[in-house]
Amino acid sequence: MSELNLVLPIAVPIIAGILVLPFRAARGTVHAIITFAVAAFTLALSLALFGSEAALSVPWAPFGLDFSLRLYSFSAFILVAAAGFGTLISLYAAAFMRGKEKQNQFYGYFLLTMGLVNGAVLSDNLLLMLFFWEGLLVPLYGMIAIGSEKSYRTATKALIIVGASDLCMMLGIAMVYSITGTLTISKVSVATGSALGSAAFILMAIGAFSKAGSIPFHSWIPDAARAAALPFMAILPASLEKLLGIYFLSRICLDLFALTPDSWLSVLLMALGCVTIIIAVLMALIQKEYKRLLSYHAISQVGYMVLGIGTAVPIGIMGGIFHMINHAIYKSCLFLTGGAVEHRAGTTQLEKLGGLRAAMPVTCICFLVAAASISGVPPFNGFFSKEMVYAGALERGPVFYIFAVIGSFFTAASFLKLGHAVYFDRKGDGMERVREASPAMLIPMVALALLCVVFGVWNAWPLDTLIAPSIAASGVTPGETHGGASVFLVVMTCVALGGAILNHLSGYHITRRGFTAVDHIHETPGLSWAYERAENRYNDIYDLGKRALVFCARLLMKVDRAVDWVFERLAVAAAYATTARLRALQTGNYSLYIVLCLAGAAAVVAYLVQ
Amino acid sequence: MPTLLIILPLALLLILNLPLLRAARRVSFWLCAVLALAQVVATATHMGGLIPDLGAAFDPYIVLQLRMTGLSEVVLLAIGIVVLASLFTARAMIADHDERFKFGNLVILAMMGLNGTALLADLISLYVFIEITAVSSFILIAFDRDSDGLEGSFKYIILSAVATAALLASIALFMMVSPDTSFAAVRAALAVSQHSFYVNLAAGLLLCGLFVKGGLVPFHWWLPDAYSSAPAPASVLLAGIITKVSGIYALIVVSTSILTVGGAAGEVIMVLGIVSAIAGALLALGQRDMKRMLAYSSVSQVGYIMLGLGSGTALGVAGAVFHFFNHAIFKSLLFVNAAAVEGSLGTRDMDRMGGIASKMPVTGVTSIIGFFSAAGIPPLAGFWSKVMIIIALWQAGHQTASVVAVLVGVLTLAYFLSMQRRVFFGRLREGLGEIREARMSILVPAVSLALITVAAGLFFKPVFSKIIMPVGEMLVK
Repeated sequence: MSELNLVLPIAVPIIAGILVLPFRAARGTVHAIITFAVAAFTLALSLALFGSEAALSVPWAPFGLDFSLRLYSFSAFILVAAAGFGTLISLYAAAFMRGKEKQNQFYGYFLLTMGLVNGAVLSDNLLLMLFFWEGLLVPLYGMIAIGSEKSYRTATKALIIVGASDLCMMLGIAMVYSITGTLTISKVSVATGSALGSAAFILMAIGAFSKAGSIPFHSWIPDAARAAALPFMAILPASLEKLLGIYFLSRICLDLFALTPDSWLSVLLMALGCVTIIIAVLMALIQKEYKRLLSYHAISQVGYMVLGIGTAVPIGIMGGIFHMINHAIYKSCLFLTGGAVEHRAGTTQLEKLGGLRAAMPVTCICFLVAAASISGVPPFNGFFSKEMVYAGALERGPVFYIFAVIGSFFTAASFLKLGHAVYFDRKGDGMERVREASPAMLIPMVALALLCVVFGVWNAWPLDTLIAPSIAASGVTPGETHGGASVFLVVMTCVALGGAILNHLSGYHITRRGFTAVDHIHETPGLSWAYERAENRYNDIYDLGKRALVFCARLLMKVDRAVDWVFERLAVAAAYATTARLRALQTGNYSLYIVLCLAGAAAVVAYLVQ
Repeated sequence: MPTLLIILPLALLLILNLPLLRAARRVSFWLCAVLALAQVVATATHMGGLIPDLGAAFDPYIVLQLRMTGLSEVVLLAIGIVVLASLFTARAMIADHDERFKFGNLVILAMMGLNGTALLADLISLYVFIEITAVSSFILIAFDRDSDGLEGSFKYIILSAVATAALLASIALFMMVSPDTSFAAVRAALAVSQHSFYVNLAAGLLLCGLFVKGGLVPFHWWLPDAYSSAPAPASVLLAGIITKVSGIYALIVVSTSILTVGGAAGEVIMVLGIVSAIAGALLALGQRDMKRMLAYSSVSQVGYIMLGLGSGTALGVAGAVFHFFNHAIFKSLLFVNAAAVEGSLGTRDMDRMGGIASKMPVTGVTSIIGFFSAAGIPPLAGFWSKVMIIIALWQAGHQTASVVAVLVGVLTLAYFLSMQRRVFFGRLREGLGEIREARMSILVPAVSLALITVAAGLFFKPVFSKIIMPVGEMLVK
């Protein structure tokens, strides 16, 4: 197989995207077909490439900037996964986007995203990767901005948050270059012991976190859930960005820096993972809107992946990566069900929805499977990856484990609420004429739901063929892992799930409505205060940044005024006062002039003579 | 050849005034202009090495001690240029032929005095030629015979009397130790009796006399009145070259050829330079009269020249000489512009002007060039000379003076910007709708002077290495 084939998964979608972009279309059928065809071609190509190893390196520019690509087990795995999601979601989008405005832009950006993700995954040069990585900002901005009139605000927010963290990553790359003298990823190996090494690690990890949507770089995602078209949520925040962010985080931890369990950076990662899990899931719990609730879970689940990789023990890392692919499957499936409901019922407000299981049975089943997966119900895929992360966390310390289990409890609780409110509860107003979604939308959902089952029941298959080789390439040898959750862990998980059910039932008992079943948590003293602050965005890094910026600007303005005052008022007043004094001497009195002249002369002569 | 520079103006003066040639008075202006132009061309080409020095052939017949140095050439060139500018301005400003004829006579007389000052190497002759120039300028200031002019002229005479007394007294004192008054003899005599009370007294009086002539603070009292009350073409001549040659050039020559700069004399010069630079700039800031502001600006710029001279290094003296030349050019330019504005508006009060750049574009633009050069904006010539002076001061260990020089640059910018804003920029003031651009004979010198300033700045490198720096090195041996 020629190395040049490596260029195809990058070049074909990008070229197709650029070609599609300028042509407006009323219905968008042609665009959708092209997109699907390109995605399917990429999938076929990725599958053909899977299992092989190849490298392409073309000298390009000075300072070690080569155009070098590398295909090996891990990147091939991500390539296949990305192409698979791209194919399924493009099929879904064909139904969802039909007749909507700005389809040319949507499909153009979609294709660009696919090509750029493939580029970032395949790059074996940090600068080249950064090029693709940052390039993703363009379709990201575009896809959010085309959502509606005011979406550009959210798009700007996303651009600034992700762009700023990309700048951190750029700085980290510069540090890595200065430490190792090379930019080739497969040759870089930095010790995290030194201050510079640690700084480089943290800076590059910030880039990965931000791409994956971890706290505190998450705040644009729930906003985008409202602002952008649904397929965008399914393709970027739910799947491709997670794949890319966690892929790169794993590469940093495993290859570039060789993170060890005794490093404080590992503890930092785990702590960040736990914080992300808890905060985001608590936020998800109280959401009253389908997509926004899902988007908080998209953040929360990143916490498990970061926690897993951060443990720096084989089972945790495997669990983290396994959770990444599982999450992408069930979360995009969940988003797609949300899109189907939105498409048919016309709303995603939980209050207005209800009793859709009869009208949309397939969607409902897909939802149940995916929700069970994300909640960690055996035997679905999420259960196994979570158990592995738990095992890793428990190995490092019970605290991290406890946080992870608490997160699991809330996840289950919020999905009980969501499922109850949308599919079971009594029928909402105007829900009588709701029909099942079209086949083009159902096929991807069903496929993803099936994958949830397959990856769960036959979990040894993805672990052996996809995950283990990926990390084996980095020298991590997996131990006995397959579904090998210990009895203790399984029991604890079941306790958490049971607790969630009990919690839901008691909440439902009070209010008799599904969507208010967790209101008692929302209204808990203390928590309700925190919720209020969070809903009002007191903790949003973007708004904090904006406020800090405004504060700095005001402060600098004050300083500026003060300096201006010194120059414009004080200095001028002093100058004119002196001028007035000097002018007062110029009286026109001849004798005074002569006296002053002679006095000056006397002073000069006296100085010279003495 | 150098002798011709003195003989020709004198001869022209005599010939023009012969009773038989009254008819020639109508063309007198052109004869004067041709003479000045010839001086410019001759010095410029001589400086470029195009014509050989013919001085030796004539000198034996003259009693006076002449010497032609690089410094003289620079000064002679400046004299020629400013005299030309003044003559052209006079052609525009003085309508009457008889008056213009008289003005031409006085200018030629002043030119002779200036050329003599620039060429002589003898104290008593230097004094004589300074006085010739002074007599001419007394009359020039009062040329219009109005009360302002007479007052300004009278102030100049009174304070010049102090200077004259000081100069003559110092020459007399030098005669006590020196066989004659040639620079070389006096210098040799001073080297012998260095610490004598009379010698130091003589040096102090000599410096003070020249300080008055050059208008340094606190000897400047006559200068603002004289500059601002003189008729426009006379102001150009006075500010551009007369006080500079008879005061500043003389100071440069005396302090390098007779005294040794860097000693106590250098310190005095430096202190007066600082005081003049600051006080002149501050005083300029508070003026409403355009020409008065330019007059105080002269005081301030002369302070710069003194700072360069006082530094005592070759670079500093070279900077002083270059600033001398640049100042002659840009200050004449600004006074020519002031003449143009006064001619069009009939007033010098800046508070009654505003936005006239739209009506007088050439004057406005050349004025900006002039003030940029004065304020030391690169790449104009004034920037280079100020930079030379500031660097020289720093290198010579006078850091404070160097910082002062930089800060005064800010003040210079301030008052010139204030002038530009009040006179040229902004919206046209009501009632000024009828004004028109100045006449061609004012625009020609304005544009030419602006071009010289720009060219001297742009071609700074050859000017610096071929002309200015050798002069500095020659003076500080």
